[in-house]
Amino acid sequence: MADESAVTLTMVAPLGPASLDEVHDLVARLFDEVPDTSMVDRIRFETAVIEVAGNILEHSRRTDPPSDEPRSFDIVLRGDRGELAAEFRDDGRPVQIDFEQISMPGEDAEDGRGLALALATVDEISHERHDGLNIWRITCRRSE
Amino acid sequence: MTEFTVERSDQGVGVIRPVGRLTMVSARQLTEAIAGLVDSGTPRIAVDLSATEFMDSSGLGALIAGLKSTRQAGGDLRIAAPNEQVLTILRLTNLDKVLRPRDSVEEAFDRG
Repeated sequence: MADESAVTLTMVAPLGPASLDEVHDLVARLFDEVPDTSMVDRIRFETAVIEVAGNILEHSRRTDPPSDEPRSFDIVLRGDRGELAAEFRDDGRPVQIDFEQISMPGEDAEDGRGLALALATVDEISHERHDGLNIWRITCRRSE
Repeated sequence: MTEFTVERSDQGVGVIRPVGRLTMVSARQLTEAIAGLVDSGTPRIAVDLSATEFMDSSGLGALIAGLKSTRQAGGDLRIAAPNEQVLTILRLTNLDKVLRPRDSVEEAFDRG
């Protein structure tokens, strides 16, 4: 059944840390266009999207060799009455990730909290490698 | 674009005010602002979060690093006036005890 409130926003950005603000602006636009998103759900979704996007963009900076061909980063954000969702595709180095092994570091740690925090905020986060792309999906079911 | 203002209060407390988003893009600026105050003999620092719209784990990491460096220099780092998003991530990362939020910058160093 079609949900007339459904909104889909897409963006293509260079695969580098400077693109994080553009992702953030797209999240802000989604909240403008999806009606009645509660503050709690905004916080959950925005926090997870920025942590996962930050992880992708930072990881690519550290591991991808310099290239004349700029690597791309595709973002799709969706929102409707039932959920908020994000999908990221990048053609950077393959990412190996075991979500079972992710835990919140101790209070002295200066890094390593990003994915643990993202997992604590939303309902589902997944990663797969397909056709030379890293594909990340985030699902946040709306709480009210 | 995230902006940072840095001031010293009459009580000798350094006050850093990040305006906008405090993420991977801007966390380094916070680290540098804290280091600048500590290096110039101001190890008591209040981070005024009243104009910080959003913080990610990089921002938290910069605060934890600042907490350690200020304490090593005989001072402390405290945070004031965080919004609901920052309170949420402090809670989820179990950092709300070591970075206990104060209501305002003025209260940050009120009782030692």
